[in-house]
Amino acid sequence: MIQFLAKRLLQIIPAFIGVTLLTFSLVHLIPGDPVELRAGERGIDPKRHAEMKAAMGLDKPLPVQYFDYITGVFKGDLGKSFVTKKPVLKEFLTLFPATMELSFCAIIFAIIFGLPAGVIAGVKRGTIFDHSVMGISLTGYSMPIFWWGLLLILFFSVQLGWTPVSGRLSALFWIDADTGFMLIDTLRSNEPGAFKSALSHLILPSIVLGTIPLAVIARMTRSSMLEVLQEDYVRTARAKGVSPSRVVMVHALRNALIPVITVIGLQIGVLLAGAILTETIFAWPGIGKWIVEAINRRDYPVVQGGILMISSLVIFVNLIVDILYGIVNPRIRHTA
Amino acid sequence: MTKLLEIENLSVEFDGFKAVDGVNLSVDEGKVVGIVGESGSGKSVTQLALMGLIPYPGIIKADRLMFHNSDLMALSAKKRRSITGKDVSMIFQEPMTSLNPCFTVEYQISEALKIHEGGTRQERRKRVIELLSQVGIPAPEDRLGTFPHQLSGGMSQRVMIAMAIACSPRLLIADEPTTALDVTIQAQILELIMDLQQKKNMALVLITHDMAVIAETVEDVVVMYAGQVVEKNSSDRIFTNPCHPYTEALLNALPERNINSKRLPTIPGLVPGKFDRPDGCLFHPRCKHAKKMCKEVVPKYSEKNSIGVRCHFPLINGVPQYD
Repeated sequence: MIQFLAKRLLQIIPAFIGVTLLTFSLVHLIPGDPVELRAGERGIDPKRHAEMKAAMGLDKPLPVQYFDYITGVFKGDLGKSFVTKKPVLKEFLTLFPATMELSFCAIIFAIIFGLPAGVIAGVKRGTIFDHSVMGISLTGYSMPIFWWGLLLILFFSVQLGWTPVSGRLSALFWIDADTGFMLIDTLRSNEPGAFKSALSHLILPSIVLGTIPLAVIARMTRSSMLEVLQEDYVRTARAKGVSPSRVVMVHALRNALIPVITVIGLQIGVLLAGAILTETIFAWPGIGKWIVEAINRRDYPVVQGGILMISSLVIFVNLIVDILYGIVNPRIRHTA
Repeated sequence: MTKLLEIENLSVEFDGFKAVDGVNLSVDEGKVVGIVGESGSGKSVTQLALMGLIPYPGIIKADRLMFHNSDLMALSAKKRRSITGKDVSMIFQEPMTSLNPCFTVEYQISEALKIHEGGTRQERRKRVIELLSQVGIPAPEDRLGTFPHQLSGGMSQRVMIAMAIACSPRLLIADEPTTALDVTIQAQILELIMDLQQKKNMALVLITHDMAVIAETVEDVVVMYAGQVVEKNSSDRIFTNPCHPYTEALLNALPERNINSKRLPTIPGLVPGKFDRPDGCLFHPRCKHAKKMCKEVVPKYSEKNSIGVRCHFPLINGVPQYD
């Protein structure tokens, strides 16, 4: 197991360098110039333009810029935003807990409903339950997120008044952002009702963000389950006199989970990076919104740093998935 | 000798197709019965029905399905599970895929013990080690944490056997236990099974399409064709004096009996499937002794002097008795 882990950790290094190279070149490939964008419609004096470019370090050749950038990265310095002049890492760390909290709740929601639905649909193949789960998940998968979010807001927030429309916390409360995770901060604040408010703000965005992963997980679990239930070892388990529920939950599910875990890991990556629409609809102060704005302003350090941080997270999540994979599937643990 | 298993008129239907059709079979305590037949003749399905392992659209019907004085058809699912794996257990054809890849050898064997006999973890571990050494696995203590992918085919089959005999069954069903193995391993595994059968005095149903295996190991032989039992006979008589033309044809196709000829005789045609079941005797299109009556009238299974046959004109010394 240790050898397996060490091997996986070593594999991270090339992936990491690849990511920095890719984001760096992509950002510089986008047409547009941060200085001109900041100058606005009236334009800027060429001499001042050159001065500002030099101040941002954009006058050097690209390989030198990349080298400067990567040495900074290894020192833990992602640069400063052209616009706000604050360190990128600091901005990221302030905004990231919001995205993380939302993604976490969304994936939990997706697993709690998607996994059992997929298992039952697989076991009760061809029944009404199976058809409805598959139908609903296909609908969920194909629904445009912004429309689905607005629909839920209209129904639950506007019509029924059950949940708040947007934001992370009711304006009645003022909570110090110790950890940045609103659920934890409100719990620690001892303000009555604050935790409930934070939770109710999370419900709709989590459902909206979790809908696609839920559909993917349910469908994947079902097909994986169907395949595994045909296996000889499931018959062997039955031949031992194992109860049907144990056959499904222990013998079949353990094997069926292997591809599902991969899918969950990939979905977490997608969620961290792809919460942009959901964050916009629910005015959620996360990194999705932050990066989109930075792209529009050609704020190179923010785009590079933000994408690098997210990519590192995705790599990290994948590492965890691989470790889990090794735990669930002994064949991998031993061949690594 | 007391009857351990009695099956009367067992049928298994899949979407209107009778995979097993009116099968009678009885096995005495401690006896060895062989079932032979081509692929698709219903050998395995008969035994899966007995184990209660017929997959979903299959419907099981039987006049009698008695095992050791309990009527399997009348038992609740839970009661039935308390018999399968304990009193009746089964070894399958593909040892490599029949073990769960996610669990250790110890876990899989001790699961059977846990379900049927309980006991503490230490007791079960001791018993697993004992079982592994009984099936001839060297250094059993070191094998407990082994996963199936680390075992060879022969070793996997030994583990399967250990699992099957864990609760000292009265009846062991071995469904082509050696088909997927190397020739050298085949003999070892077969010897192991026969040895355990003797030592534990279990009844054994051995499903095979290897006539040589039958000749070496089995006391009674049941020949199946297209889901029906066509002949039941003792193994010494069946090789010298088969009663059913199908048995005769099977034996004639053995390489040992055709040493001097250039070509092996075959049985022309195939086992009928769902859409080409003939009227009358199911074997008549492939039978060299068939008469007009065989095409029209379904032969009944009849038993005389403990020889059962389903044929209008059973053979005596290789000659059909047209009377």
